[in-house]
Amino acid sequence: MIQQTLDRELDRLHDLWSDGLSDTYRAYLDHVQRFAPEVQQRLALAAALIEVGVRLQGLGGRAAPPTTLLMGDLCLARGSRLLADSAPLAVQVAFARAIESVSSAAASEQPAPATRVLLQQSLEAAR
Amino acid sequence: MTANRLEFATSHSTQFVDITDRIRDEVKSAGLRNGRVHLQSLHTTLGLAVNENEPLLLRDFQTLLERVAPAGAGYEHDDFTRRLDIRIDEPVNGHAHCRQLLLSGFATLLVEDGVLVLGRWQSVFAVELDGPRHRQIAIQLDGDFARADRREMQESLIEVELTRQLMVDPEPVAAPMRRLVEAGGKRIRPKLVQLTAAVGPRSDQLRATELAAAVELLHNATLIHDDYVDESTHRRGRPTVAAAEGPERAIAVGDYYFAKATRLIAEIGNPGVTSALAEALEAICASQIDDVALRGSYPGDRESYMRVIRGKTASLFAAACASGAMLSEAEPDVVGALRRYGDLLGTAFQMADDLVDFSPSSGKPVGLDIRQRVLSLPLIYAAEDRVVGPEVRRLLAGSLGDAEVGRVAELVTASDALPRVRKEAQALIDEAVRELEAIELDGLRPTLIGLARSAVDRIS
Repeated sequence: MIQQTLDRELDRLHDLWSDGLSDTYRAYLDHVQRFAPEVQQRLALAAALIEVGVRLQGLGGRAAPPTTLLMGDLCLARGSRLLADSAPLAVQVAFARAIESVSSAAASEQPAPATRVLLQQSLEAAR
Repeated sequence: MTANRLEFATSHSTQFVDITDRIRDEVKSAGLRNGRVHLQSLHTTLGLAVNENEPLLLRDFQTLLERVAPAGAGYEHDDFTRRLDIRIDEPVNGHAHCRQLLLSGFATLLVEDGVLVLGRWQSVFAVELDGPRHRQIAIQLDGDFARADRREMQESLIEVELTRQLMVDPEPVAAPMRRLVEAGGKRIRPKLVQLTAAVGPRSDQLRATELAAAVELLHNATLIHDDYVDESTHRRGRPTVAAAEGPERAIAVGDYYFAKATRLIAEIGNPGVTSALAEALEAICASQIDDVALRGSYPGDRESYMRVIRGKTASLFAAACASGAMLSEAEPDVVGALRRYGDLLGTAFQMADDLVDFSPSSGKPVGLDIRQRVLSLPLIYAAEDRVVGPEVRRLLAGSLGDAEVGRVAELVTASDALPRVRKEAQALIDEAVRELEAIELDGLRPTLIGLARSAVDRIS
C-alpha cells in the first residue's frame, strides 16, 4: 500500500498507477533499501516514473501521440524532481546518464540497453 | 548615450529620497567611464537637490520649505472655482508647486574613472513635495563607455559553452540541437542566470555560464517536444526537429537534452539550484498538458490562460533568476525578490509573444497561433468582446483556413484586445521592476530593468 506521502506525487498520474506504474514501482523497492527509510519510496517512485515515462513516449520505438508524449514528459520531470529532492548527487547523475544512454541509442536507431537494468544500476551509484 | 527612468514610490507628503546609490548603479551598469549623468524630474512637485544626508538637517530643510511656502496659505492654484478642466481628484497642492520653485528639477553630475564625482558629504536627493506618489526621474548618461565589451563577453561565453557542450555529444542528437541553437533565440533565460549569478557574495561567472547553458539546453529540449505536439513545421526560421527528422528522433533528442541539462545542473552541486529547476521543469510539463486540454474549449478564458503561461513560460524565468542568485549565495530575500521578478517578467514576456502573432512587422506569419490553436490572450479578449466576440467564436469553432485565420486576425486587431494585453504586460513589468527596488543588486538593477522593459518593448 503506497503511503499518503507518495499519494500527492501521483497528482495527474493516478490512472497510470493502476495501469502498471504500481508494479514498476515495486520492482525498484528492493534496490532502494540502502537509502534512508524516509526517501526509499520516493526514490523507487522516481525510478518507476522514469521507466514508465520513456515507455509512454515510445522512446526507441514508434513515437507516442502528442497527449501520451506529454504524459511521458510529466513522468520524467516528476521523477527528476523527486531525485533532486531525495537522491544523492551520484544517483542523480547516474539516472541522467542512463536516460542519455537510452535516448542516444534511440536517436542512432541502435538497440537500447534495458531501461530498468540501467535505472537499477543507477540506484547502486556511489555505493 | 544611454537613457533610462528611475522609478520609486514615496510614502510621506514631504520626503527626501536618497537616490545616490541608484545613480551609481546606473553608472556601473552602463559602464560609463568618464562623462556626465543628467537627471530631470518628470513632475512639477518633485525636486532634485544635492546635499548632506543627515536626518536632522533634512528636518531643517523640511521646516524651511514649510515656512517659506506653508500648506493652506490661500494659494490661487487651490481655488478650484476659478480653474478650468480640473480632475475629480485634483490635489490641493499650491504649496508643493511653490516649494518646487525653490529647488531644481534638473541636475548634472560628473563621472570620472567610472566613479560618480561627489564631495564627501554630498548625496543626491529626489525631494517629494506632494506625496505619497509613484515618481519617475529621467536619467541620461553620456561620455565614454566600457561596459559594452563586458556584456558582449558574457553573451559570447554562453555561446561558447553551448558549442562546447554540443561538441561532446553523439552526432545523432547533437546535430538537430546544434541547428536549433545556431538558429538563434533570445537567450533570455541564460542571460537571467548570468545576471542574477552576479548578485550575491560568491559570484563565479564560469559556473554561472555552465548553469546558464544548461538552462538554455533544457528550454530547447522542451521546445523540441512542443513542436511535435503543436505540429509546428518551423521554429526560428528553420524546420523543426520533428518536421525534418520525424517524431521519433524529436522525442529522443528532447529526452537526451532533458537528461543532459538535468545532469549538468546537478553536477554544479547546489541542491537549491537543482530543486528550483526541477520544479520548473515539472511545472512546464504539467502546464503543457493543460494547454493541450484547453484547446477543446478554444480560446478559453483568462484564468486558465494565466495558469498555463505561468507554468509553461514564467516558471523557468523565475527558476533561472532564483537559481542564479542561489548560485552566488545571495540572501533569501534577494532570491525571493528575483524569483518574483522572473515570474512577472516571464508572464509579461508570453503576453508580448501573443501580440507578436498580430504584428505584420514581426517577421513571423500573422495568425500562426490562431491556425495552431495556441492559447492566446488577445484571442480570449476578442472572443469576449461584445462587438466582435460572436464572430470570433463562430470562426474559431469551425475549421481554420487562410480566409478564416485572416478574418480572426482582423477582428482581434479591430477590437481593444491588443492594447488591453499590451497594457497588462506593461503593468506586470512595472510590478517586476518594483520587486527590484528593495534589494541590494550590486549595480545590476538598471540591466535587469532594461531586460524587463525590452520584453514588452518589442510590441510597443
